[in-house]
Amino acid sequence: MSKAYFNYAGKRLLQAIVVILLSYVFTFVVVSILPGDPITNVLNNPQNGFTPDEIKEIIAAQGLDKPIPVQLWNAFSGFLTGDLGLSMRTNRPVATLIAEVLPSTLVLASAGLAVALLLAAIIAYGTQFLPQRFGQGLLRGFPSLFLSVPNFVIGLVLIHLFGFQLGVFRVIEPDSFWATLFAAIALGIPISAQIAEVLIANLDHESGQDYATVARGRGLSQMRLFVKHLLKPSSLPVITVVALTIGELLGGSLITETVFGRNGLGSLVQRSVSTQDLPVLQAVVSLAAVVFVVVNLIADLTYPLLDPRVKLLGTQQRRPTTADDSSLPISKAVTP
Amino acid sequence: MNDRSFRSLLSRRRLLTATSALAFAALVATVNVAPALAEDGAHDGGDVVFLIDSLGDTWIPNNSAISSFQGHIWGHVTDKLLYVDAHGKVSPWIAERWEQNDSATEFTLHLKTGVTFSDGSPLDAAAVVANLDIWYAGRKSEGINPIGLFPKTYDHAEAVNATTVKVFFKKPTLGFIPTLGYHGSILISPKTIASPASAQADLSKTSGSGPYVVESWKEGDYVKLAKRKDYNWGPAAVGQTGPAHLDTITYKLVSEPSLRVAAVQSGQADVGYNASPQELESLKSEGLTVATPRYLGFVNGWAVNTKLAPYDDVKVRQALQAGINRQEIIDTVYTPDWKLATSFIQSNVPGATDQSALLAYDPDKAEKLLDEAGWKKGPGGIRVKDGKPLLLTLNSNPYLATSKSIDELISQQLGKIGWKVDIRAYDVVTFGQKVKYGGAGVPAYEVTRSFIDAGTVASILTNANNGENWFALDESDKTLNDLRDKIAGAGSIEARKPLLDELQKYVLDQGYFIPRTQIVQRIYVQSPKLKGEVYNGVAYASYYTATKSK
Amino acid sequence: MTLASISSTPRATLVDRLTGLRVPPVVVLSFLVVALAIAWSLAPGLFTGYDPVSGTPAQKLLGPSAAHWFGTDHLGRDLYARIVYGTASSVASALIAVVIGVVVGGIIGLLAGFFGGWVDTVFARLVDVLLAIPKFLLAVIVVTAIGFDTTNAAIATGVSAVALFARVMRSEVIKTRQATFVESSFLLGGSRWHILWRHVLPNASRSVLPLAVLQFGDSILVIASLAFLGYGDPPPASDWGLLISIGKDYLKWPWLVYAPALVTIATVLSVNRISRWLRKTD
Repeated sequence: MSKAYFNYAGKRLLQAIVVILLSYVFTFVVVSILPGDPITNVLNNPQNGFTPDEIKEIIAAQGLDKPIPVQLWNAFSGFLTGDLGLSMRTNRPVATLIAEVLPSTLVLASAGLAVALLLAAIIAYGTQFLPQRFGQGLLRGFPSLFLSVPNFVIGLVLIHLFGFQLGVFRVIEPDSFWATLFAAIALGIPISAQIAEVLIANLDHESGQDYATVARGRGLSQMRLFVKHLLKPSSLPVITVVALTIGELLGGSLITETVFGRNGLGSLVQRSVSTQDLPVLQAVVSLAAVVFVVVNLIADLTYPLLDPRVKLLGTQQRRPTTADDSSLPISKAVTP
Repeated sequence: MNDRSFRSLLSRRRLLTATSALAFAALVATVNVAPALAEDGAHDGGDVVFLIDSLGDTWIPNNSAISSFQGHIWGHVTDKLLYVDAHGKVSPWIAERWEQNDSATEFTLHLKTGVTFSDGSPLDAAAVVANLDIWYAGRKSEGINPIGLFPKTYDHAEAVNATTVKVFFKKPTLGFIPTLGYHGSILISPKTIASPASAQADLSKTSGSGPYVVESWKEGDYVKLAKRKDYNWGPAAVGQTGPAHLDTITYKLVSEPSLRVAAVQSGQADVGYNASPQELESLKSEGLTVATPRYLGFVNGWAVNTKLAPYDDVKVRQALQAGINRQEIIDTVYTPDWKLATSFIQSNVPGATDQSALLAYDPDKAEKLLDEAGWKKGPGGIRVKDGKPLLLTLNSNPYLATSKSIDELISQQLGKIGWKVDIRAYDVVTFGQKVKYGGAGVPAYEVTRSFIDAGTVASILTNANNGENWFALDESDKTLNDLRDKIAGAGSIEARKPLLDELQKYVLDQGYFIPRTQIVQRIYVQSPKLKGEVYNGVAYASYYTATKSK
Repeated sequence: MTLASISSTPRATLVDRLTGLRVPPVVVLSFLVVALAIAWSLAPGLFTGYDPVSGTPAQKLLGPSAAHWFGTDHLGRDLYARIVYGTASSVASALIAVVIGVVVGGIIGLLAGFFGGWVDTVFARLVDVLLAIPKFLLAVIVVTAIGFDTTNAAIATGVSAVALFARVMRSEVIKTRQATFVESSFLLGGSRWHILWRHVLPNASRSVLPLAVLQFGDSILVIASLAFLGYGDPPPASDWGLLISIGKDYLKWPWLVYAPALVTIATVLSVNRISRWLRKTD
C-alpha cells in the first residue's frame, strides 16, 4: 500500500466517474439525432384523430419543443441528483421500470456466466489432457464454432428442441428453472468461447513451464495437476476476461431475452428503442456503463494487490494481461 | 345470497302471488343468469392464459384505450355507456335509454342504477360527466391526452340527477351516440381520473366497473385479471348480465408469433393472438378454434395521393385498380377466412354496398389504360413516359403484420404490367414521422382503420372541417364535396344509404382508394376447451361470457 | 481503462506464409467457402436460375428438393436463390462495418499513440465511453438514431468496433515509436509524417489485419442479430440475417431458418479460421 497505489487508485476513480457521465450525455446526443419520441409518435398516428393544434399544445406542455441542449441540461441535472426521470412511453418512473426487470436480468446474466465458465473449463481441460488423436484438435475448434453461431439461432433451436419437442420447460413461463437454464446456455455459449480461448492460451503457456513438467514427472494425477498447478496461475487473466465479458452478458441478454420471452433489461431496451423512449435508454446505458466501469475498477485496483509480480510504475502501470483487448479472443495477447 | 336460497325464495314467491312473481322472475332471469347456468351443470371457474404480442405502452386510460393491445384488457376491466356489436348495432349498456333534441345538439342519457366501480364509488351521473370531460379535454399539461376521436364539438355535460346526464354540443353531432360504444369511451372511476398521470400509469391503481379487476401486472410482462363477483350490469346484447364465468384471465406477453401458437398447440396456453395466417389451416385441422373477426371500418388498401405524378392521372389510378389480383393475395398470404374487398369499407358495416365489379382483376384493361396514358413499355419491361419510369413507392404499414408480404406480392403482379414498385418498411416511429396522407414521398398511404359509423367516412376524405384529406384533393373534386355535404346533412339512415352507395362507387371508379382485402387485424387461435367468447364491433374478444371445460 | 500496450512478436508477411505452402486443409476449405461467398455476391446469376424477388405463389413453402435445394418461402420463391442474391448485401454490410471500425478506430489510435499528451487523453476518454457501453447495446442505440436499414446497421456495427481498433492501433503505434529504428529515424531528422507513413503504419497494420478479418466475421453476426430484432432492410431484400428473421415466423417449415443459418455459420466459421491462421503463423 504505497503512496503510488493511492495516486493510481484516485486517478482511476476519477476516470471512472467521467466515463459514466459522458456515457449519459453520449446516449442523449445519439438518440436525439433522429426526431421522434413516444409522445409525438402517438399524436402523429392519424388513427388517433388529433388535430394539428392539439398536437402542438400537447408537445409544448411536455416541454418537447425546447431546444435539444436545454432538454439535455434538464435531464442531465436530474441525473446528477439521482433522478432518472419519467419514461415517456409508459409515464412511469424510470427507476421503477428498471427495478422491476433488473432481477430477471441478473439471474440470467449470472447463470449465463456460470455456464460460460463451466463450458470454458471443460474445453480447456480437454485440450490439455485429451490425447491428440481423440478430439483434442476438435475441442480446440469449439471456441471458433461457438463464436460463429448467431446466438438467436442457438436460442431458437433450444426452444424448439427442449421447449416443444421434448417438453422440458414451458415456453410461457420463461422464469422457471429449466427455461432460465436453457436461456443461460444460449447466452453463455458465445461467451464461453472467449473465456476458453484465453484459458487455453494460458494453459498452453504454463504447461510449457518447468514446474508443470516436474509435477507431471512426479506422477500427479492429471486432474489435480490441472486444478492445482495450472488453473490457478492462469486464472488471473481469466478474472479480467470475466470482468470484461460483463458487457457482453448485458448485450447478449438483449437478444436472449427477446428470443426466450424473458422480461428483463434487454427486453426493456427493445421496447424503449422501438418508441425512442430516451429517458429509459439513457438510464440503461448509464447503468451498463456503471457496472462495466465498477467491475473493471475493482479488477484494476485489486490486481496489483493480488499478484506480487505486478509492480506499480506510477499510474501508467497496467495489469499485465489482456485487459485491453480481451474482448477479442486472441491468445497471443495474453502475456502472463 | 347463494343460488339455492335464491331459488327457494323464488319458488315461495311464485306460490304466493303469481303475477308479481312473473315480473320478479323476469328480473332474476336478466340479472342473475350466471348462477343458473352453473346449476345446469355448466362450468363456472377456470383460468385462461391469453398470449399477446405486446402489452403496449402507457396505461393511462385515456392514452391507451384505443390501443390494439391494451384494448383487450380495458374491455374486461371497464364498461361503456353503449354496446356496439360486430354488425354495428347499438344497444343499451350502462345507459339504459337516451334521447336527443331535433338539431342533435343536446343528448340525455339515463343510467342503470346500482352500478359501482371496483373502488366502491358509484357509477352515477357525476361519474359519467367526469369521464366525458376527460375524454374531451384530457389534462394535456400532465401528459393525459384527450380521446382523439371524441367529438370536438362537445361543449359540456351536467348531472341532472343521480341517473340522468345531459350533454350539450356546440354543433349538431349525430356521431355522439355511436362514439359511446367505441373502444376509446371506457368508464373509469372519478377517483382514478382525479389522480395524477403517474398514478394512472400504474394499472393496479385504476378502477373500472367491468366484470374483471386487475389482480396483478408487470410492465412488458403480464396482466392478470380476476373476476368481480358482484358484477351484474353486463350488456344485454351478449345474452348475460351477471358475473363472468372464468375466474381469471392472464394476458401474457410472448413476442414471437410462432411461440404463441406452439404454446396453444401444446396446451400451455388457451389463446394465441395474432398468429401467422399461413399456419391457420393446419391449426384448424388439429382441432384448434381459429377466429378472424372483422372490425367495422375501412378495408386494408391505399388512399392514393392525387397530387403526386403520375397518380394525378385518373387512367393510371384505374390501371392500378385493375392491375391487382386480389384473389391471389388471399390465396397466397391469407386463407379463405379472409374476404375479398367489395368496397373500400368492410362489408359488415351498415351501409356498405357491393362494388366488386370495379375491383375485378383485369391486366389487359390495365395495360390498355397505361398505353392510353402514354406509358410505353421500355427495356426490362418497365413502362416509361418522358424518360421517367412508372414508379410506385409503397410504405408497408407497420401495424399490419402481413403488410410487407402483400406489398411484395403486389409488386410482382404490377411488375408484369410494367410497374416498378419500391417497398419501404419503416418501424412504427419512423412511419409516424414520414408517412402521411398526401405526403411528398407517399403516392399510396396504406389504411388500416376502424370506425363505428359509416356516416363519418365521407367527412375525413377531404380537408373540410378538420378532415384528413386522404387523396390530397383539398376541395377540388366537386362531386366528392357534394356527396360529403349531402351525407352529413342526411336526416335518416334510409336517406343516407343511396348517398353512401354513390360515394363508394365514385371513390373506387376514380381510383382514389385501391382496396387490397377486407382487413382482419386481430387473429385468435384458441383451445377448443374455451367456448362462448364474443367479438364486438372492433373485433376484440370478450371472455366475459366464455366458459372453459376441464 | 486507458489505452495500453499489447505484446506481439514480429511476424512473417502474408506472402511468406502462402509461399511456405504450409496451409492446413481446413484453412484451404475455409478459403474455398469464402471464395464461394464472394462469387455469390459478385455474380449471383451464375449460381441460380431462379428469381430471388418474384416467385410462384402457388408453390409456396415447399420442402428442399432437387428443383429447390433449400425449399421455397411463403411467397413461393426459391430460398437458395434468395440466399445467393442476399450474399452481396450481407458481405458488403460486414465490409462497411469493418472499414468504419478500422479507419475511424485506426485514425483515433494513430493520433492518440503518435502525439500522446492531451490528444491521447481526450481520445482515451472517448474510447472509454464506447468501451463501457456493451457493444451490442451500442449498435442498437446507434441504429435507432440513424434509422433502420442494413447499411445503417452496418454503420452501427462499425461504430461499436471503433474502440477495439483504436486500442490496438494505439498500442502498436506506441511500440513502434519506441523501437530503435524509429527513434534513430527521429534523430536523423525525419519528418513526423514521413515516420508515421513509412515506419509506424506498416508495422501497426500487421497486427490489425487478423483482427480486421475476425471483425468481419463478427460483423456478419452482429448485423444478422440487428436484422433479427427488426433493424434490417425492407423486403424484398434477402440478407442472411433477414432470412433467418423472416424464417422464425414460419417455424413449421424449419428450412426457412436452418438454410440461411447454416450458410451464415459456415461463412463466419471460415473467416474466423482464416483469421486464426493469419495469427498463428507468427
